[in-house]
Amino acid sequence: MRVYILRRLVQIVPTVLGITFVVFLMMRSIPGDPVVALLGDSYTQEDAVKAREVYGLNQPILVQYLIWLGKLLQGDWGASILTGRPVLQDVLVRLPVTLELIVLSMGVALVIAIPAAIIGALRQNTWADYTATTVAMIGVSIPEFFLGVLLLLAFSIGLGGVLPSSGWVYLPGTCPMMVCGVSLWGNMQHVLMPAFALGVGRAAILTRLLRASMLEVIRTEYVTTARAKGVTELKVVLKHALKNALIPTVTVMGLQVGFLIGGAIVVETLFAMPGLGTFGIDAIIARDYQQVQGFALLTAFAFVVINLVVDLSYTFLDPRIRYG
Amino acid sequence: MRSTRPALGLGLGSIALLALTFLLTDLSAAQTPKRGGTLRVSYGNEIAHLDFHTAGGYEMMWVAMNVGCGLVNITPDGKFVGDVAESWQMSPDGLLYTFKLRKNALFHDGTQVDAAAVKFSIDRLMDPETKSGMRPFYAPVHSVEVIDPHTVQIRLKHPYAFFLHMLAGYRTGLVIYNPVATQKYTLQDRQQGKPEAVSGCGPFRLVEWVKGSHLVMDRFDKYFVPGLPYVDRVMIRVIKDPVTEMAAFKAGEIDFIASFSPEHVDTMKAQNPRARIMTGKETTPMMAAMKVTVPKDGIPMSVERAPHPIFGDLRVRKAIGCYGIDRKEIVKIAFKGQATPWVGMALPGTLESVNVNHLCPYDPAKAKAILAEVGYGPSKPLTFELLTNTEKSVFSVITTVIKEQMARIGVTANIRLVDKVSWLNSTLQDGPWDMYVEDLLSLLTIDSNGYLSTAYVSKNSSAWSHPRHTDTKVDDYYARYAREMDAGKRKALAKEFLEYMADKMYWNTISGSPFYMVAQPWVKGYVYNAEFEVHWDNVWLDK
Repeated sequence: MRVYILRRLVQIVPTVLGITFVVFLMMRSIPGDPVVALLGDSYTQEDAVKAREVYGLNQPILVQYLIWLGKLLQGDWGASILTGRPVLQDVLVRLPVTLELIVLSMGVALVIAIPAAIIGALRQNTWADYTATTVAMIGVSIPEFFLGVLLLLAFSIGLGGVLPSSGWVYLPGTCPMMVCGVSLWGNMQHVLMPAFALGVGRAAILTRLLRASMLEVIRTEYVTTARAKGVTELKVVLKHALKNALIPTVTVMGLQVGFLIGGAIVVETLFAMPGLGTFGIDAIIARDYQQVQGFALLTAFAFVVINLVVDLSYTFLDPRIRYG
Repeated sequence: MRSTRPALGLGLGSIALLALTFLLTDLSAAQTPKRGGTLRVSYGNEIAHLDFHTAGGYEMMWVAMNVGCGLVNITPDGKFVGDVAESWQMSPDGLLYTFKLRKNALFHDGTQVDAAAVKFSIDRLMDPETKSGMRPFYAPVHSVEVIDPHTVQIRLKHPYAFFLHMLAGYRTGLVIYNPVATQKYTLQDRQQGKPEAVSGCGPFRLVEWVKGSHLVMDRFDKYFVPGLPYVDRVMIRVIKDPVTEMAAFKAGEIDFIASFSPEHVDTMKAQNPRARIMTGKETTPMMAAMKVTVPKDGIPMSVERAPHPIFGDLRVRKAIGCYGIDRKEIVKIAFKGQATPWVGMALPGTLESVNVNHLCPYDPAKAKAILAEVGYGPSKPLTFELLTNTEKSVFSVITTVIKEQMARIGVTANIRLVDKVSWLNSTLQDGPWDMYVEDLLSLLTIDSNGYLSTAYVSKNSSAWSHPRHTDTKVDDYYARYAREMDAGKRKALAKEFLEYMADKMYWNTISGSPFYMVAQPWVKGYVYNAEFEVHWDNVWLDK
């Protein structure tokens, strides 16, 4: 097990570097130049040339990448070309917001998906099953931004502003700035709509997947045996069937994290949340290469680590699985 | 009965008096500014950075106007009022301005705002190393002299009719820098918004700026105007999505929208009948610019120029930009009629604006005839690229309407939609483009247009002179206009200049680009002055 974890951890390094290199190449392949935004009204051709020299943008792409990598190995994530702020500092300020959003979105997805899938599987081809699958289909079909706007109109305007439309209130003890709104209740109010908007699509996918797995598992012999032994239906479903049916679902959950990060960009922009998603999109729009690299590095790292955790969780779900 | 009538009258009189007293008290209370509270402002775009002398964008400028102070401000009716300057005088020849400064003005770190600070700031703006976008406007300044700690003299090389306009309202105007803080902290400290480095002398002191999250400024208790500002704090948040912005406004989460999207004004009015929606005569031109020259040697920004293959010919510029574009139709579709169709480069809200619409009536038959004369027609169709960017959705609507209008005269316009940075790259760096749709800087005077002030391509040319025409007559016009101190003669020059620009189609305006601010009904005391002056020191919250 330890060897397996070590091997996977080692694999993370080339994966993350590969992603950052591809992003590096892509950013420099698209038209646009951060120097234009940097110089603004005072733009002159001469100053642009000087600025490119200062930021090393006149170097060959590979050299630029190696310089970035060399600094990264020394713990220096670089500084924003436009504001001069250290990228690591900016990323760490934004990370808690996105992390909370993603975790809660996944929570929303599971809270909806597990009961819906169980009901759908146990009551196959009944109105309950049809309702669950239809709702799942609708959930998959609604884009996050559209659902987000509907939620905004319903809960921030329609119902007299029961939920705030935008902004962020931090959990106690997590404020990374001088001036923050800090409150547990306020935080819950702010995260509820974004997490729901982001989580519903994932819930729909997980519902369909888990329902299919459950249908397969509840027809297996060991489930029949458990029932024959007189084990209660609740225990049969939750302990014997669900746990085994969860393996493909957990795999997909890991992969869904990538979609959640992508979805966070849209949802954070819509709800004006100061998270990593808005940070990433602003950086791309401004061609702030250093910030884009920081964003890509962190999200790639998060994605591969979460998928490692998913792989390790198989041993808990199915003790027959062993890593060596 | 007799005894009761006076008593009844007395009673009614007393009630009426009481009611009147109550009403008057209530009215006076409603009019008396209240101290305290937080003004919650929303921005649609990010602040670039906080070095006020070099950053671009209105979002930064509106912070600069509240954290910083200058010498003078300009009122909506064009009058100058003192800021740190309590009085000023211009010499009869228009070459010497003497400003007397207030004695009680302090920077936020407690140091005195004095004549040396004014000199330091203007010298800094004029220094090419500072790379300030304001520098071209200080070109007429010969020197700045400290007469005594509270008197500063600015000597000009030649008369400059808009010197006070420039100090007050061109972009940020003059923002006086604190020499101590500027020397103590680095440029990066200021750009990143380190509060000690951004030590201004305005009504609010910077507390914190977290890019992508918020900017907070608190009341400066030692502000030189006693009693101001009224609010304790201004909290600025960036809400990019107009729907979210409207939802936040409707829910009462924000008090003031600093720049509101014109497309959503009707919805805002319908949803918030009590909201104060502020606008005025347009000052920002919506343009369909045409490129006049291209580099002869293929090297961008080369001084060797050749006519643009399509729009280098004045006849084609006039056929397309003048007679081929139906400005009224564009305004009707893109702005729902809430803008002014306009041809001249100075909009109705710009000082000394002249309506030259008669020079470019929509006349598709004439446009076709001119194009035929040039040689374009069914056998040789004219096709050009119509560039625009994603910054505002209205740009795409306008380009689509223009494409349709071009089809009516047998011309094909291929739309190329890019993001703002790519657009800047093409236009600033003399890239390959034919026509673009964009709205540019808000113009207080014709002179404040930096985009054509050094229009011809030379070592001193402006990268912002996108069409890159080589007509030095434009520069002569600018110089004569800006140096003319006689208002009557200047007005005549402005007319001549604007007609010349329209005739040559170096600058092709379609219409004004309306600007809106929105405030909650409880926000009192704000004086709307377009994008030029955004001050929150007089604002109070009637909650």
